[in-house]
Amino acid sequence: MDMFNKFNNYLEEEQEIREKIREIVRQIDTESKEAVTVLQIIHTSLTDVMPACLKAREIFQRCNDMYQKLAQVVPTGQYYRFSDHWNWTTQRLISLIALVIYLEAGILVSRDTSAEILGLKSSSSDGFHLDLEMYLMGILQMSNDLSRFAINSVTLGDYSRVLLLQNFISDLSSGFRLLNLKNDALRKRFDGLKYDVKKIEEIVYDLSIRGLLIKPVDTESLPESSMKED
Amino acid sequence: MAFRGPRNFKNFREKRRIEDDDSEQSKSNNPVIQNFLIYRKELDNKHDRHEKLVKLSRDITIESKRIIFLLHNIDARKNNKESVLSEAKERLDKVINSNFATIAYELVGHEIFQYMRAISPALQEFIEALTFYEFLSDKQCSDWEVIKERLKYKHDELDEISLHLAPAEYMLGFADNTGEIMRFCINSLGSGETDNCFKACKFLQNIYAHFLSIGSVPNHGRDFSQKISTMKMSTLKTEHVCYQLKVRGTEGAKFPSLDIKLDNDDIDEGFY
Repeated sequence: MDMFNKFNNYLEEEQEIREKIREIVRQIDTESKEAVTVLQIIHTSLTDVMPACLKAREIFQRCNDMYQKLAQVVPTGQYYRFSDHWNWTTQRLISLIALVIYLEAGILVSRDTSAEILGLKSSSSDGFHLDLEMYLMGILQMSNDLSRFAINSVTLGDYSRVLLLQNFISDLSSGFRLLNLKNDALRKRFDGLKYDVKKIEEIVYDLSIRGLLIKPVDTESLPESSMKED
Repeated sequence: MAFRGPRNFKNFREKRRIEDDDSEQSKSNNPVIQNFLIYRKELDNKHDRHEKLVKLSRDITIESKRIIFLLHNIDARKNNKESVLSEAKERLDKVINSNFATIAYELVGHEIFQYMRAISPALQEFIEALTFYEFLSDKQCSDWEVIKERLKYKHDELDEISLHLAPAEYMLGFADNTGEIMRFCINSLGSGETDNCFKACKFLQNIYAHFLSIGSVPNHGRDFSQKISTMKMSTLKTEHVCYQLKVRGTEGAKFPSLDIKLDNDDIDEGFY
């Protein structure tokens, strides 16, 4: 029957598109892995934080170029037909971008800014965009890195940083608590956030009972000044 | 989906609690909170639309199942073929012109693929009903392009909106149709219309052979292999019916064989 030939042709076309997407996503994936490696330094040396951020930003720029290519391969209006291919990699990149922006400026990167860094639109009506749930998943992934960073910065002798981290992550967690989550992957990832909050709170407790945190910290002005100390 | 009730209630309560906090929060200058309020709106919007589509889709599924059940009522002894077919046609048209239209309007400005999981059961069940109807009316089964033409609607601002029908969804619905044709074959044996049995058997053999030629389908690989194996069982059953008719002649019609039973092995046949 005709219909089956048509269907097989259709499948072939789909395979071709997917093949192209896979190739581009594979390249983005390689870059993002490199960014992960570059940023590992923050756990071992605080003076290398800023140079690492710069390097990571170069990698984000390269990813930006590749997302432009990806946007051309994916037919308009069919983002979610193929989005499984880049979902995971994009989440990881978002978590890295959020980490870098936090280290540089002490703030949580917004969806719009992180989309811009990767050359994506923030809304699906404008074209190839950053899906909101991908962004939120990425942010939650970063919180995990932060709790590790908190431990290690204490080990490296920077006590005041922990208070900033505590502030930041509690903002993050009250932000997430505003969302009405369904029983999905995002919800599960969000449930993990409280352990990161707890971990950082424990560090603050450890430090404060030993009198290692003397001054109450002015959270508004500290992010920048603490950066300068690096 | 009935079990969802209590949870929805809980969500509702949570929502209330959060809305109560809103006044405080919207005053807060904290940019994180401000941003998350925007995200919440977007997420809620998406979830609400999804729920709505699931409900709309369930109505279509139920109506399609009923149409299929109606079509199985065709019986030469009652001489009701014409009237049943015209009723089925009317109801199928209604599903296209009202139920699917509602879904299409709901999806204006949104990408159907984001909500595919909500509406794909409806699409498949409807395709099954439609192609079964076409088979019984001795028409050629319309393929997805023909059906797509019918899923177009007028819109006030945009000239025309259409509901995208993915070929893979169509194929899955069409595959389900073979189960109905097997039932039709066995019912025909009971009512003594043996020509129908041979016709059904030929049709199934043809479809089955074509389905085997289909390459791998991304994201639906498992669905397809499951349906193809069910289809094989259906084909074997009709072949067995034809074999018996050949060997035993028309006595089979008077004393329907006991070893042809309808196993309830495909799960989607629950009747609402």
